Amino acid sequence: MALNLRIDPFSPQRSTFYLEGRLDAMSFGEFDKEAEKVLEQMGMGSTLVLDLSALDYISSAGLRSIAKARKAMRARDGHTLLVNPQAQVRKVFDIVKAVPVKEIFQDVRELDDYLDRIQRKMVNEGGELE
Amino acid sequence: MALRSLAWRLALWLLGSATLVFVASGYLLFRMVGQQVLQQAQRESGAWASQGSSLVQERLDNITNTARVLAAIIGPRPLDAAPLIHDAMAGNTDLAGLAAAFVPGSPAAREAGQSPFVGRSSDASLSQRDLFKDTQPYWNATWFQFGLTCSRGCWHEVFRSQSRQRLLVSYSSSMQVDGKVIGVVNADVALDWLQGILLSMHLPAGTHAFVIDQQGLYLANDTVERVGKRADPALLKLLNAPRSAEYANAHQLDQQGVHVWIFDQPINGTHWQFGVAVPEELIYAQVRDAFVAVLVVGALTLLILALIVMVTLRRTLAPLGVLAERAEQVSRGALDFALPRVRHHDEIGRLTHAFDKMRRELAAHLEELTRFAGEQARLASELDIAQQIQIALLPGSHYLDARCHNFELFAALKPAHSVGGDLYSYFMLPSQRFCFMVGDVADKGIPAALFMARTITLAKAMASRAQSPQQLLQLINQELCRNNDNCMFVTLLCGFLDVATGHLTLASAGHDPPVLWGNHAARWLPVASGPALGLDEDASFPVMRMRLRAGDTLLVYTDGVTEAANEALEHYGGERLLARLDQFHQAGDESRHGDPTRFLAEDVQSYAAGHGQSDDIALLALRWNHVGLEDGTSMLDLVFPATLEKVFDTLDHCERKLHDAGVRSGVQADVRLVLEELMVNMVHHGCSGNPEGCIGLRLMIVEEAVLVELNHEGTPFDPLQLAEPALTGDLADRHDGGGLGIHLVRAMSSELNYTHDEYGNHLQLRFANPSEHGHGT
Repeated sequence: MALNLRIDPFSPQRSTFYLEGRLDAMSFGEFDKEAEKVLEQMGMGSTLVLDLSALDYISSAGLRSIAKARKAMRARDGHTLLVNPQAQVRKVFDIVKAVPVKEIFQDVRELDDYLDRIQRKMVNEGGELE
Repeated sequence: MALRSLAWRLALWLLGSATLVFVASGYLLFRMVGQQVLQQAQRESGAWASQGSSLVQERLDNITNTARVLAAIIGPRPLDAAPLIHDAMAGNTDLAGLAAAFVPGSPAAREAGQSPFVGRSSDASLSQRDLFKDTQPYWNATWFQFGLTCSRGCWHEVFRSQSRQRLLVSYSSSMQVDGKVIGVVNADVALDWLQGILLSMHLPAGTHAFVIDQQGLYLANDTVERVGKRADPALLKLLNAPRSAEYANAHQLDQQGVHVWIFDQPINGTHWQFGVAVPEELIYAQVRDAFVAVLVVGALTLLILALIVMVTLRRTLAPLGVLAERAEQVSRGALDFALPRVRHHDEIGRLTHAFDKMRRELAAHLEELTRFAGEQARLASELDIAQQIQIALLPGSHYLDARCHNFELFAALKPAHSVGGDLYSYFMLPSQRFCFMVGDVADKGIPAALFMARTITLAKAMASRAQSPQQLLQLINQELCRNNDNCMFVTLLCGFLDVATGHLTLASAGHDPPVLWGNHAARWLPVASGPALGLDEDASFPVMRMRLRAGDTLLVYTDGVTEAANEALEHYGGERLLARLDQFHQAGDESRHGDPTRFLAEDVQSYAAGHGQSDDIALLALRWNHVGLEDGTSMLDLVFPATLEKVFDTLDHCERKLHDAGVRSGVQADVRLVLEELMVNMVHHGCSGNPEGCIGLRLMIVEEAVLVELNHEGTPFDPLQLAEPALTGDLADRHDGGGLGIHLVRAMSSELNYTHDEYGNHLQLRFANPSEHGHGT
């Protein structure tokens, strides 16, 4: 079972990748290609959400692809947030300390709360600045 | 008992010698004194005889003188004969009768007219008669006829006068006138006075005096009854014997066993003899009495002397007796006793001191000996216990893999002494691994046994921490090097056997190489060796890997086998070992299930029977049967080219196998991840050998573990040597993506071994696969 990637929804402000199957040395190329197309269109300060709830497996090649995506988002001053990694994937993330813990969320709702909090904060900060 | 004592013997000898000397000298003295006493007695008795003789002669001289004077006077004057005779009779009381007998018919007879005779009667009155008137004519009588011939007078024989009832002796003297014999004057003499003379001499009691005449009749004898009797013929013969020597008149007479000395003296003018008889006993009586007295006193003195000597000796020698008794006690083993007090520092004192010293030293020696014997016994029993403990340290001599009969193990240990330095050990480790080892401590006996015990215990304790035999050797080595000032060391060959696959890892610390046979002739396995354990703390040990094939037997032994010597001191040797093992192998089915260690031990023993076992022997044989894996174990053995597609095909294949085997999904994913990382690496590194079979993968599922072996014919690459990647907590911070895969591999696999040989890189992996209802982690 190879990787199945779905991008929904896509917007320059917030895009979500649904990963399904295995992200490994065999499939990372495909992922990179798809991700690149999306990332090119992402705006500044945008958010990329990786929904990992259907991802069964990840290897170091997959980790590198995710790191690549995060780097690209960082270049756009954006965030890469991970949602609901499965036990096996979570274990790999833990071993290599792939992502800061605060950027991993149990589910989409938790993610939305987080994003709302950030948005409010930014508005408040912006008001103060102004 | 008393006579055996030295004091008694000395006293007896002393008394005996003194008695002998005393008696001998007394006897000699007695003889000398006796001689003198005898001479004295002879002189004395001779004097008595002379004196007696003189006295008798004096009295007789009176009579003879009277008779001769009368004869001279009467001859010319025959008429006066009667008065003259009468007067003479009155004047001499010794005369019993006096006669003047004339020859009948002679002028004188005619002139005188008578032959007068005056006799003295028993009442002493004198009576006179004329002999002519006697009825018997006297001129025919013997005395007259004999008297006529005695011009100078002569004595007649003694006769007993019937009328006067007494012994008389006559003396006749012829009367001559002008040369013509005219008659005889005859005097009868009574002999009573002779007795009186004998008595008047007052001879000592027991001494007898006598007078004897020429006929041998006793004229006088102080034993009155003998007077007039004939003397003993022996005495007479003695008296008539010729005289000689100094005491000419001394004779010794033996009368019925009684010695009598006779001293005789002739009485002049007569044929009489005066004799004195002295019994010899009388002579010696006094001196004998004296000597008896001296003897008695002497004997008493000797007795007292002996007593004094004995008491003194006993007193002096008493300590000797005690010492002798103590010496007997010593011989019975008793040493604690009192010794006699030392009074003088003489030989006995010194002996006592020496004895005391000897006794003390003996006691000390005995004590030491007893202690030593106890020590020996204790040591022997301790050795026994040590042997039991050492045997208890060893596992059994036969081990059969109970679960799948994949392998069988035989072992034997034969110490040269009760305890030895050779060792073998084996035990199961977690995850289907079986550890075995054979070792040889340099040295023999107790130190070696202790070191052996230490080694065997350390090995067991460390084995669970060690992932491989070389690591186990390192761990043991580090422990043994600690405080090993004596530089004891042990050679050890250690092997880890994968009981599922027959994969064997061997590491040697200076030990003899093992022998392998079964599918080929017996040969040595070229196991490279590190230094012996206990010498170099930083030592490392090369490892040898191999896979046993069914029917293979591996033998590990100590040099006690190859260095066993026969009578000619020839070693058993390695070539013989190989040859014997081949014989054993070829002996057929029966021996295939036999015990090679027992066979070899017996063979070595019979070889060295003449010389005896000089070194410990340890043997361990491992036979790999490869019966198969237990139920539920699945296996995968693949070889494929190093391409990504093949790798992922293989990964899928593996996953299906694991899934089918019921391995937990988490473990499945771990295995997949690790294999992907490693194999993708291999694809990237490429192949140096056969591109069609570049990667080999073997996968096994055993109890509670998944075992994977990866072989890659490529350049050496040890994932274990790679440094840990720097993990910041965000992979996006990293500039390079390297090292993550290996890090994951290390983290995911429970165990990872890497080796490299001429066939490339070999990785052994182990994943824990706890059962559902087991003690899962």
